[in-house]
Amino acid sequence: MRSVPARFVCEPCRKRAKTCRQSGADNTTGKERSRCDSSLILYTASVCRGYRNLAKMFEARLVKGSLLKNVLDAIKDLLKQASWDCADSGIQLQAMDNSHVSLVSVSLKAEGFDKYRCDRNLIMGMDLGSMSKILKCAANDDIVTMKAQDNADTVTFMFESPNQEKVSDYEMKLMNLDQEHLGIPETQYACVVKMPSSEFARICRDLSNFGESICIACTKEGIKFYAAGDIGTANIKLAQTSSVDKEDAVLIDLQEPVTLTFSCHYLNMFIKATPLSPQVSLSMSPDVPLVVEYTIPDLGHIQYFLAPKIDESDS
Amino acid sequence: MLYTDTNSKGAGVDDEDGEGAWVRPPPPPVAPKQQSLIFQQIEIDHYIGSPRAGMPGQQTGRVPVTRMFGVNDAGNSVCCHVHGFSPYFYVTCPATLKDSHLADFKHALNRALMDDMKSNRERISDAVLAVEVVQRESIYGFHDNQSARFLRLTLALPRLIAAAKRLLGEGKVFVANLGTPVYEAYESNIDFEIRFMVDTHLVGCCWVELPAGSWSVRTHDPQTRCQLEVDVAWNKFRVHEPEGEWARVAPFRILSFDIECAGRKGIFPEAEKDPVIQIAAMVIRQGEAEPFVRTIFTLKECAPIVGTQVLCFGRELDMLEVSVFLCQSWSRFVRLTDPDIITGYNINNFDLPYLLNRANALKSSVFPFLGRMKDARSIIRDSMLQSKQMGRRENKNINIEGRCQFDLLMVLLRDYKLRSYTLNSVSYHFLQEQKEDVHHSIISDLQAGNPQTRRRLAVYCLKDALLPLRLLDKLMCIINYMEMARVTGVPLSYLLTRGQQIKVVSQLPEEEKPLKLGQEIIAGEQNLILPVNKGTGDDEFEGATVIEPHKGYYSLPIATLDFSSLYPSIMMAHNLCYTSLLSGPHKAQEYGLSPEDFIKTPSGNYFVKSHKRKGLLPEILESLLSARKKAKNDLKNETDPLRMKVLDGRQLALKISANSVYGFTGAQVGKLPCLEISQSVTSFGRTMIAFTKEQVEEKYTIANGYSHNAKVIYGDTDSVMVLFGVETVAEAMAMGNEAASYVTEKFVKPIKLEFEKVYFPYLLINKKRYAGLYFTRADRHDKMDCKGIETVRRDNAPLVANLINTCLQKILIERNPTGAVDYAKQVISDLLCNRIDISQLVITKELTKLEKDYAAKQAHVELANKMKKRDAGTAPKLGDRVPYVIVAGAKGTPAYEKAEDPIYVLENNLPLDYEYYLCNQLSKPLLRIFEPILGEKAESQLLKGDHTRSRIITHSKVGAMAKFITKKASCIGCKVPIPSSSEALCKHCKSRESEVYIKQTNILGKMEQKFSELWTQCQKCQGSIHEEVICTSRDCPIFYMRRKVQLELVDQEKILQRFGVPSW
Repeated sequence: MRSVPARFVCEPCRKRAKTCRQSGADNTTGKERSRCDSSLILYTASVCRGYRNLAKMFEARLVKGSLLKNVLDAIKDLLKQASWDCADSGIQLQAMDNSHVSLVSVSLKAEGFDKYRCDRNLIMGMDLGSMSKILKCAANDDIVTMKAQDNADTVTFMFESPNQEKVSDYEMKLMNLDQEHLGIPETQYACVVKMPSSEFARICRDLSNFGESICIACTKEGIKFYAAGDIGTANIKLAQTSSVDKEDAVLIDLQEPVTLTFSCHYLNMFIKATPLSPQVSLSMSPDVPLVVEYTIPDLGHIQYFLAPKIDESDS
Repeated sequence: MLYTDTNSKGAGVDDEDGEGAWVRPPPPPVAPKQQSLIFQQIEIDHYIGSPRAGMPGQQTGRVPVTRMFGVNDAGNSVCCHVHGFSPYFYVTCPATLKDSHLADFKHALNRALMDDMKSNRERISDAVLAVEVVQRESIYGFHDNQSARFLRLTLALPRLIAAAKRLLGEGKVFVANLGTPVYEAYESNIDFEIRFMVDTHLVGCCWVELPAGSWSVRTHDPQTRCQLEVDVAWNKFRVHEPEGEWARVAPFRILSFDIECAGRKGIFPEAEKDPVIQIAAMVIRQGEAEPFVRTIFTLKECAPIVGTQVLCFGRELDMLEVSVFLCQSWSRFVRLTDPDIITGYNINNFDLPYLLNRANALKSSVFPFLGRMKDARSIIRDSMLQSKQMGRRENKNINIEGRCQFDLLMVLLRDYKLRSYTLNSVSYHFLQEQKEDVHHSIISDLQAGNPQTRRRLAVYCLKDALLPLRLLDKLMCIINYMEMARVTGVPLSYLLTRGQQIKVVSQLPEEEKPLKLGQEIIAGEQNLILPVNKGTGDDEFEGATVIEPHKGYYSLPIATLDFSSLYPSIMMAHNLCYTSLLSGPHKAQEYGLSPEDFIKTPSGNYFVKSHKRKGLLPEILESLLSARKKAKNDLKNETDPLRMKVLDGRQLALKISANSVYGFTGAQVGKLPCLEISQSVTSFGRTMIAFTKEQVEEKYTIANGYSHNAKVIYGDTDSVMVLFGVETVAEAMAMGNEAASYVTEKFVKPIKLEFEKVYFPYLLINKKRYAGLYFTRADRHDKMDCKGIETVRRDNAPLVANLINTCLQKILIERNPTGAVDYAKQVISDLLCNRIDISQLVITKELTKLEKDYAAKQAHVELANKMKKRDAGTAPKLGDRVPYVIVAGAKGTPAYEKAEDPIYVLENNLPLDYEYYLCNQLSKPLLRIFEPILGEKAESQLLKGDHTRSRIITHSKVGAMAKFITKKASCIGCKVPIPSSSEALCKHCKSRESEVYIKQTNILGKMEQKFSELWTQCQKCQGSIHEEVICTSRDCPIFYMRRKVQLELVDQEKILQRFGVPSW
């Protein structure tokens, strides 16, 4: 914990730190002090935010900790850093990838967590590479808890083994990411296809051997994937299945037929989310981004948006 | 001040006032019988003309006539036809050839040549004028001072030399009783002009005197537009050595011009379609400070400009016809002002070809007569110039007889290594002046406006014409090049259009003469001739040596000992020359040389010593170096500023020449390569460096009574760095001086080790990479000296150079390494938060080849293609330097796909790839300088510390997703998302509304102020504060800042609007 020169700490905080020290305070003292440091600009405007929100905090506990690991695996190749927006309704993440071709949207509902507390809205900027490294330290059956003091510059990951015999604490430094909040307007899609996620992953992987892009054509009869390249062409057709309820069903909700072309590179990034859900849904409309959605049962969803390739020569 | 309104054809040009200033002063009456004519020649060429009665040489058919153009002291232009000089070359004389064969030989060669000619336009009756047997010696190899027999063949025309060489070489010349023996050609590749200059002792830009009675004036039927056109025999005129009063420079007229063309949108102007709308011209006399003619030719009316003659063309006439007049009257202007030197910026490859093509498209028959020859049209030819010094360049050659084309861009490309060669950045670099840069796409708009907007353009155009003159003056280009021409003995124009080698070649024949005179008495006629090089093998040889550096940061003074003119002095000391070369020890036996008569060099080559044969190259070098010494001495005693410039230019030219002699012997595709010499020179250099290290470390030891053991920490090519261990600069200097003279004694003269400077402190990073404070006096440092460190390299972003430079300053001058670390961290943090100005991140690379010629994909090439698709008019062309920045891309995207045009990035708010700048640009150079100080932890401290944890991520306005995405409103105070953008703050921040509002207003105020400051700066730069700034200079940091603030202002205003209408 770095020490902060006294002049950077507002008067109430200084008093508080003093009382903490006198009362043999725990390690939160240091955090309080550095909070004032991080709110330096506000302090010059005669307000120390650190003091105002002292009692507020964020905590989210997930018994099935492996879900969080999977979520991170699904996004860390697309995004290097990202901000998690924490609100009392849940945790959201929305960001464009580096090249601004695709957009990732993660939503984890508060109800999905076993314990969730967020006293005030909070944004945590994280280096997803580092976060993934930390989550790798958790065993698959560990209970994961994310904790942060409001306005802190670190976040704590706590992993508890199911029998509570082992508890590990990892503290990660947060980043200050100044970035705009993005959204995709609600759209009525011309066609929505639901299919087994493993099947979709397989198709993307296979077709990427043929060319740089995959053409998806959707008709009443079924959905067709097509790729062409130096070695030849590949065509995969999936017919709509009659059974509705099974997980390996292919369901097509069609308003009008659509044919769109997408970059393989990005689709192959999206299929990293396959472990999260047995089913994937593809929503398409002409000249509108494709939405690839994986529902995380009881917790939320991951959506990927990818703009179609307009013209081969243009890309 | 003159302003002419033109309704009639080219009325502007007929104005007497204007023309009075244009023409040269009338020449005084001349009397060739009594007076001599003295002028300084500037251009020499030859033509094939008819012989003139009373002159030596062939009297029938057409003959080569040499022409000298020049100016006399009064400023009159002179053209001197020199008659009677015929081209010649040598071939080996077969042993069986007797004097009796000569007539047959001549006859046979003549017939072969006549048959070989496809056409005989020149109506030559005798192709071979003379065949003589002469005693000469080949320059290549030692021949025990024995000369051999050679045939000297004098031909009627220069172009016959190549044919004759070919015919002789192929055995096509059959001589009775002799057959077709092998003839090896010598000196057949020497230009006719050079041959002429060597034989008449002419050097470039020297003064020529035609003695009374030897010359005649052409009164009727002059061929040229010169004021004085005279004839003289080739052996009758006198050449003054450029010494004393003859070192002066005649009042040459220098014309600088610039054109503006009206291009169509998005297309670079094409001469066939787009008119020339303005031509600015400035004429200055050499040696004067201000141009005496400032004229601008404009299409359509233009408002007056103070101090400038504005000539407008056409109001009612058909525009096409008018633009013909514009071009023609400029061409007339050139003929009237009669400049000796034509300069400008990129005139060779743009302005002149454009004008000529334009005139051609307009079918103007008068325009192309720009030269001094009355009947010679100027024509464009394409040429490729390839030299090690400059790489491959496509050039256009335009013949303008009698005027020297001195394109400033060519000079700068040749002599200076710059980041960018636009006129703007060049003028900023040398004159510290930004120049406004009007993009050619808005030139048409200005032209289509009113007289005021055209005046605007005219002012800009005039500035472009004036700047080359100011730069020429500031950089002393004309004087330096004239001195180079005098030293090397070639015409001025050769220096710009040919590579380095021509300089040495011309010196070789030149130096024969004094040698011949001096040795004639002792050894009889001893003439050297040059064989024609057929290109030898391509053996690589070892370069200079580098003593393995002891890397680190030295806080003790380091003395540096240098060999002065290392390579020249080695060649002199060991008599290394073509003429002293022995191909092996067996040759020595053959000539009966004793071991004292020759040496074996460390590279295993053999050379005879100077008492057997004094080498030609050492001789040349000696005379060059002594001439330099003399020039430097004269410079000290000189008070006249112009003559000082001349002398300074001369000593520089001499230095460059002396150093290029070594390079000449090593150039494998050169005129006369000799690897034996060059590898011997470098091998001597290597042993000398090692020897010096040994000597110094042996002598300066504690055992010998010195306070410390000296240690050589580094050495390179011609210098060694010694750590004597003493504390102060003064002590180090004393010891350095002592060591230098101590070691010098052990070498052969004139090799000299000099103590030059002390570095204190000294940061030795690696081979050829170091930095230090440079002391030549004990009390104060002269400068910070950096070698091989990113401060001086061009292929990275300016940010790197600036950061490294500041860090080094903090380390070396302020001795504050922690300060340097903090500074570096601050810059890295700024970089990640998008606070660094984009101009700091621009990387430039030259587009030297077409895409298909590049083996691997390169960023700047890819970008050039991308830009061509967007707008072909503004895209960079071959030879341009392409500026680019690296933008963020998907994981694994190669860097060459991430290059983007900085202006495009700015306009579309593309996110930059800061990781790339941090990892690929900054990290290595930074770690290099900090590792000797911080050690292992440098990397984690600098590149991974807390300062890297704050970033700003921008979102681009273009790209596949951009049009689908909406920005969600967020709280201005704490950035959390809020449901509606009509709200400014979230409910938590609502209580602080006034505070946040004031903060944002302050930010807006600061931006406004910054923008105003930048805008004013640009207005000052464009020279008018009443008009809008139209400059889009990509070299100017202000431009980028202005654009950025402008865009930010718009966003900031939107933020403030969200607070709603203020209410009480």
